[in-house]
Amino acid sequence: MDALIQMQALTKIYQTGTVSVRALAGIDLEIQKNEYVAIMGPSGSGKSTLMNIIGCLDMPSAGRYFLGQDDIRDLSDNRLSEIRSRKIGFVFQSFNLLPRVSALQNIALPLIYLGFPPKTRERLAAEALDRVGLGDRKQHKPNELSGGQRQRIAIARALVTQPDLILADEPTGNLDSKTGEEIMALIQVLHDQGHTVIIVTHEPYIAAHAARIIRLRDGLIESDLPAKPQNLPRAR
Amino acid sequence: MSFSENIRLALQSLKANPLRSVLILIGMAVGIAAVLHVVVLGELTQKRINERLQKMGSDVLRIRPGFSRMHGVRTGEKKVNLKWDEANELVAQSQVITEAVPVYSGGGDVAFRDKNWSTQITGTTPAYQHVNNDHPAEGRFFSAQELTERARVAILGTTVYEKLFDNVSPLGKTIFIKSQPFLVIGLLEAKGESWSNPDDQVFVPITTAQERLFGVDHLSTILAQMRSAADYDEALFDIESILRRSHRLSRDAENDFQVRRQDFFLATIQETNEELARFIIVIALVSLVVGGIGIANVMLISVAERIREIGIRRAIGARKFHILFQFLTESMMLGFFGGILGVGGGMLFNHFYIDAGLLLPWPWIAYSFGICAGIGILAGIYPAFRAANMNVIDALRHE
Ligand SMILES: Nc1ncnc2c1ncn2[C@@H]1O[C@H](COP(=O)(O)OP(=O)(O)OP(=O)(O)O)[C@@H](O)[C@H]1O
Ligand SMILES: [Mg+2]
Repeated sequence: MDALIQMQALTKIYQTGTVSVRALAGIDLEIQKNEYVAIMGPSGSGKSTLMNIIGCLDMPSAGRYFLGQDDIRDLSDNRLSEIRSRKIGFVFQSFNLLPRVSALQNIALPLIYLGFPPKTRERLAAEALDRVGLGDRKQHKPNELSGGQRQRIAIARALVTQPDLILADEPTGNLDSKTGEEIMALIQVLHDQGHTVIIVTHEPYIAAHAARIIRLRDGLIESDLPAKPQNLPRAR
Repeated sequence: MSFSENIRLALQSLKANPLRSVLILIGMAVGIAAVLHVVVLGELTQKRINERLQKMGSDVLRIRPGFSRMHGVRTGEKKVNLKWDEANELVAQSQVITEAVPVYSGGGDVAFRDKNWSTQITGTTPAYQHVNNDHPAEGRFFSAQELTERARVAILGTTVYEKLFDNVSPLGKTIFIKSQPFLVIGLLEAKGESWSNPDDQVFVPITTAQERLFGVDHLSTILAQMRSAADYDEALFDIESILRRSHRLSRDAENDFQVRRQDFFLATIQETNEELARFIIVIALVSLVVGGIGIANVMLISVAERIREIGIRRAIGARKFHILFQFLTESMMLGFFGGILGVGGGMLFNHFYIDAGLLLPWPWIAYSFGICAGIGILAGIYPAFRAANMNVIDALRHE
């Protein structure tokens, strides 16, 4: 199998005034194509930091990170932007949709920066909207939609460019458990269609969707195991 | 991302805060309106001046007697020292003066039947017509023979005609000038009002004016026709030396006459106009700078309000220059709207205030839009640069 993600001795140190925080303290990690990985761990253990680095939103302080063939240290800011739009779909806990813009336009946003012409953008965005089951909400603004619907829009935006990698940082964190399950079902479909999925969660029943669970503690990988039922912590 | 999409995006975001946008643009709009006003006013005045210059001829010098002085103080009384002979001397002795027309004019009453009008009676020679560009619309000017005969013939200016006659031809009628009967032989073309009214005059042979009407032998003016306007310096030199000799002025005495170009006062008006224009343009520049600062301010606020949006766009693939152009386009559009407000306001003002009609200074309108959009871009550079160079994660986390 080809490694999609390879990390060696990766660290991230935040400097805030005189205090420096080691958010990641030396991560060695390999994730293959088409894997479905859940990252768990207590608050402040570095999960989001790791996701942001994987998604090329942030740079490590030291160590190496290969995404496909690219060593991201060698990439220009423009190239990183291109990777974000072409190879990565990000789903955030707080949705991060543009508030003044319709559902359809929100979904089409990454396509704009990839240079698709307007007609194609509209068609692809409408298809993505259908795939998340909101084909009848094209012109709704985010504040006219429920939390679950907003997250579906965000998922549609993440999948519209057909990225290799879908990153979801607590995608169900702001949703009730029933809506959370609906969102997870959508993500499951994406994985089944061949996308590599990495998801951060605190909820064991959410993590149970994944095939592999990585547990962080204090910026280090505490465990990295296949998701068998006995490996899951008890539901709270 | 194409330019037109950037413009659509900019419009969208400006629409979210229309009042703020308009308020900040008012200063700039006033500046542009002021410039357009000055430009149109300047063009109108220049056009009128050119028309007058055409009528008067700028190659004619007007020689008048100086004022007499008492113990070095001007008394307000004209000297009586210009003579017809001297006019002839000028033509005879100067290479560049082709004609010198003697003029004597004075006030007097003219009457036709029961109507009476107090006007200026101007005695001159037939050459006056072409030197001063003053031609009869009806009838004729007097002839050389009538000049030597001191004939009682008169040519009316249109104002005088209107005061004395009710829409009937004056030709062949007898009017009374200073109680002496004159035959009307011509009616002049209207010249139009300017600083004095040249149509409020009656022309008679100068011999008649001097000997029959006023009993004088001096002149009030000599009109000297130059070969061309370019001969001014030489003509002036000739006139001064000829008249000074003839008036026997000692070497250190001042001229006891004055020489002026016909277009002298026009040049003065032109200068005043240009000074005013420069002044208003300075004010306009200041208001444009202030407008630019306003735009920069609005853009900084706009960037601060949209840090999260910037983070989102960057996170899903916008490059730095996408963000840069997005905000630059927005500030350019702001400037452009300032231009629209200014040009619209300026045109309205011109229309109602100086009745400029359809006089649209297209190049200036184009400059205005260009300058405003340029100021918008300049003002937007710093805010846009800040937006583009934000840390993606920090922007995304911004509350
Ligand atoms: N921008 C930042 N500046 C300074 N310190 C930061 C910054 N971002 C994260 N940290 C620190 O890095 C550590 C890891 O943070 P991170 O957000 O990755 O945790 P997390 O595992 O995602 O936690 P949670 O489950 O609460 O989301 C924390 O101690 C946090 O305070
Ligand atoms: Mg987190």
